[in-house]
Amino acid sequence: MADAFPSALTGPSSKERKYDRQLRLWAASGQQALEESRVLLVNSDGPWSSQSAGVSGVVGVETLKNLVLPGIGGFTIVDPAIVTEADLGVNFFLEEQSLGKPRAAETCRLLQELNPDVEGSFQSKSITELMRQDPGFLAQHRLVLVSGPMKRPSLDALCKAASELNIPVLYTRSVGFYSTFSLQLPSLFPIVETHPDPETTQDLRLLNPWPELAEAASRIGDLEVLDDHQHGHVPYLLLLLHYLGKWKDAHNGNFPSNYKEKSEFREMVRSSARTSNPEGGEENYDEAVAAVLKSLNPFSLRSSTREIFEMEECKNPQADSADFWIIASAVQEFFQQHNVLPLPGSLPDMKAQSADYVSLQNIYKSKARKDVEEVTNLVRRIESQLGPRPGEILDKDIEIFCKNAAHIKVIRGRNIPEIDGEAQTLKAICNNISIPDSLVPVFVAFQVLDNVVTGLQEGKLSSGSIDDEVVWDTEIDRVLFALTSDDQSAVDQDARELILEATQELRRTEGGELHNISSLTGGLVAQEALKVITRQYVPLDDTCVFDGVRSRSEMYTL
Amino acid sequence: MASTNSSLRWKHLHKVLTKPGPFSDQDWVPGLETISALETSKILVIGAGGLGCEILKNLALSGFKDIHVIDMDTIDISNLNRQFLFRQSDIGKPKAEVAAAFVERRVKGVRITPYVGKIQDKDEDYYMQFKIVVCGLDSIEARRWINATLIGMVDPSNPESLKPLIDGGTEGFKGQARVILPTLSSCIECQLDMHAPRPAVPLCTIATIPRQPQHCIEWAHQIAWQEKRKDDPFDSDDLDHIGWVYNEALVRSKQFHIHGVTFQMTQGVVKNIIPAIASTNAVIAAATTSEALKIATSCNPYLDNYMMYAGEEGVYTYTFEAEKKPDCPVCGNLARSMTVDPDMTLQEYIDALGDRPEAQLKKPSMRTEGKTLYQRFPPQLEEQTRANLNRKLRDLVENGQEIAVSDPAYTIDFRYRLLFK
Amino acid sequence: MLKIWSMKQQQQQAENAEGAAGKKKKKVTAAQLRVQRDLQELTLGSTMKMTFPNPDDILNFTLTIEPDEGMYKGGAFHFSFNVNQNFPHDPPKVKCTQKIYHPNIDLEGNVCLNILREDWKPVLNLNAVIVGMQFLFLEPNASDPLNKEAADDLRQNRETFKRNVRTSMTGGSVRSVQYERVMK
Repeated sequence: MADAFPSALTGPSSKERKYDRQLRLWAASGQQALEESRVLLVNSDGPWSSQSAGVSGVVGVETLKNLVLPGIGGFTIVDPAIVTEADLGVNFFLEEQSLGKPRAAETCRLLQELNPDVEGSFQSKSITELMRQDPGFLAQHRLVLVSGPMKRPSLDALCKAASELNIPVLYTRSVGFYSTFSLQLPSLFPIVETHPDPETTQDLRLLNPWPELAEAASRIGDLEVLDDHQHGHVPYLLLLLHYLGKWKDAHNGNFPSNYKEKSEFREMVRSSARTSNPEGGEENYDEAVAAVLKSLNPFSLRSSTREIFEMEECKNPQADSADFWIIASAVQEFFQQHNVLPLPGSLPDMKAQSADYVSLQNIYKSKARKDVEEVTNLVRRIESQLGPRPGEILDKDIEIFCKNAAHIKVIRGRNIPEIDGEAQTLKAICNNISIPDSLVPVFVAFQVLDNVVTGLQEGKLSSGSIDDEVVWDTEIDRVLFALTSDDQSAVDQDARELILEATQELRRTEGGELHNISSLTGGLVAQEALKVITRQYVPLDDTCVFDGVRSRSEMYTL
Repeated sequence: MASTNSSLRWKHLHKVLTKPGPFSDQDWVPGLETISALETSKILVIGAGGLGCEILKNLALSGFKDIHVIDMDTIDISNLNRQFLFRQSDIGKPKAEVAAAFVERRVKGVRITPYVGKIQDKDEDYYMQFKIVVCGLDSIEARRWINATLIGMVDPSNPESLKPLIDGGTEGFKGQARVILPTLSSCIECQLDMHAPRPAVPLCTIATIPRQPQHCIEWAHQIAWQEKRKDDPFDSDDLDHIGWVYNEALVRSKQFHIHGVTFQMTQGVVKNIIPAIASTNAVIAAATTSEALKIATSCNPYLDNYMMYAGEEGVYTYTFEAEKKPDCPVCGNLARSMTVDPDMTLQEYIDALGDRPEAQLKKPSMRTEGKTLYQRFPPQLEEQTRANLNRKLRDLVENGQEIAVSDPAYTIDFRYRLLFK
Repeated sequence: MLKIWSMKQQQQQAENAEGAAGKKKKKVTAAQLRVQRDLQELTLGSTMKMTFPNPDDILNFTLTIEPDEGMYKGGAFHFSFNVNQNFPHDPPKVKCTQKIYHPNIDLEGNVCLNILREDWKPVLNLNAVIVGMQFLFLEPNASDPLNKEAADDLRQNRETFKRNVRTSMTGGSVRSVQYERVMK
């Protein structure tokens, strides 16, 4: 048997004890991915004007805190700013002695204290300068975090370079009571371990049992001759198979297919339970009755999986394709042959004698193993057809894929959304701006802020202040103009009003951060970073807006 | 207070306190008074764990200057993946003290007073000194206790007796933050059914027909330990004890051919471990402290009253108003004051209750916190408390003490504060 | 903040002007209040008695069941009830304080009753538990036992089981386990 019993007491290592509470979420494989990752934080991009120091970068540091604690391999902080008095009122990872020193060095030092397993380094230069001096700099990192607002040319250059290297970028802005962040993923970002709700992942094959399962059901024979004890312990799964056989005999070989028939079938099961025992009923029958509506559905491929199977990358994998696509291609072939996906092999707990349950479980497990073997053979065949690849795909990865095949996901990466960027962004903004309680007006207000900062930093806007009324009015008009360039009615009066209110709220702190909002946002951004790095769970696609005035958030694909 | 340094240091925060925004209340007067109201607001943090560490940091950087924190626990190695105020060398020390000292050291001008102990150690005088209470707890029981305590403290004639309770909780990638205005809005007890009970496996399954590795662990923990180590109190923090349970579970699992018993799983089952990560704690803690800032300063409207968060698939939040339950056993029927003659007997008092306009209590049972005054049923207890009927009230209750009365004619219970004439 | 305070003042009149007195005194807890109500709503037949070692502490008591029919007729079975402050979120903890021969009660006194564990809900009350306990003595259930030997006996031969019950109740040994005398 593949999973042998551990022989002796093996207590956890001190590292396992330290990370215990998170290993229960992403297991050793997720932890390993974290430990192999180095994260880049670009925490400011120079002063905004003679009177504004620029981004205080609290949200960036708070995000890193939430990544250093669970143990990423390392981080680099890029931040040309010098610590000011105002930094000390909002940034926890600075202290009195930090005043006047480079902020990159100080935040790096105090973040590193959080976890001796994590290596930290810093650069007190601008990212643009750094990338010019060291073309290999960006490639050392697995993920880039950017604290905005950042002037457009710097942001665009950084995002473009990251995109060419397939490095994901999280661009975050936290100002006053509002924040927003967007995730730029590589053009295709596949996830195998999406961790769906276990309730939704059951695949029991009751309508199309394989021979061994059908045989197990037929072995129970005549239920009537069983004594009460045995009768009350037949696993509900076998009960359902048994009564389905009876139903088919009475219905020209058809299964109960609609709600009415299923209800009738459920009644048939219910009425077969024995009630003359001390409990006045049977738990296994209760379980069977409860499972009828959700478990008697013919296998159907989820549309997201079907889409993946139809993608060019899956249909025609290349030698340089990621392992995901080669396994997906093999699984797709498996599906074409069998009309089902590989069996996940897990069995829910159910009322049964220990030995009966274990043998039923083994039927599921060995079928799953057989399916994995079949997929593995297909993978090996594809590999040999493709010619030399960096290494053979690991058996373990094929097995994990097969277990999760019904819930795999591929996100199509998008660029960091900008109003002056792609047409789809503009369209998505216009589509969502007038929905009641939409937070898109807040996102638009942030676009205005980005423009103001860009204008100030490039000297195009003459005012020295971030809170200049005229400057803001001009930029609001410009953004509104861009939004309505195709369609005059795209932004109605209410939406204009909401955008205006949001800019007023943003201007209240003159671009400054509030610690609570940055800390909350740092939590959200770190959560996305963890999902991207571990490739587990499902990351944001692609923008989140948080409204701290009303304590709510929304997601948009922009 | 507003020295140049201080106003430079707090410039971002002070901007939202000195300038109205489009959503701040029209009657609100921003400025120095608001800042000083914030700085003099005494605030209590319950719990110095995953949420508590974050909450303390956030409050200190939100301008609160007088913060108190209660926690009875000491620091464990498994806290270090998220409780960022603690280091390897702090293991074994009390959380409240280490956390308070760290934040005080880091943020100049803030005073944090730790108390190492249980919330139940403190009386209403203690809780009365705070403006706001923020909770970062993992126990439902403790939440229910502070909730009932704060609701019991509300005195309509004294507005200051109303202590907003801001509660946060997390589990893995999920969490929730809620604002409770005791007696005014839905309380923890009203929302009790939102806490799913811990799933349990039938004892007989564990004893006779185990099927899952968890069943073997429960057997070792609940049955084998009782049989074999009866006189040895089980300590879930003792790794040797967990090791013993693990080994017993392993032996049993082999007997039944069940796979999958691991040390980690043993620990998880025995201690009912809930996964916890830094990022979720950061989100929920900051959600609670953001509300604390808004309530203390009115700079923006506060949460009304519940925000849930789930991060497994993208970023999902749902903000809604949980409803106050009219028949809530804690906030549904508040204590009323009742002036009584301390020389009347309990029987006379009960007769008088039957004529009260708000509820004619004909067959009441009643008690104080420490004493069963009269219990009509079961007969054994009726007999044991019957003698009280002829005793004077002054011999049974103290002046100002609260009694709770149940009567079969009403589905709700009543509380009276007895004031002696 | 001032807003909340004035809301409160508007909502309620100064009905309780003297409310300040007694602030420090401990209040009846939610668990106590619920038990007070549950006790009052009990329906105890002639076969059940409750004992309160300390009448002021209603969270800890003993239930004695004296079946007047069935195989356990003539016995007096004692169960300790321990209700914690998290009641009714948590179920009461119930244990048999005697060593008895019963398929659903083990030698340590653990009781297998669904509503004491997996099926407990806060809407259930003490009466539901007591009814369930009583039922265990009328219809011992062999199908998923805590005392496997007793269950095997019951399943294989009801008459033998009955005899064993009598033997055990008078303090005799069954399958080399000595039981406690529980006769009234």
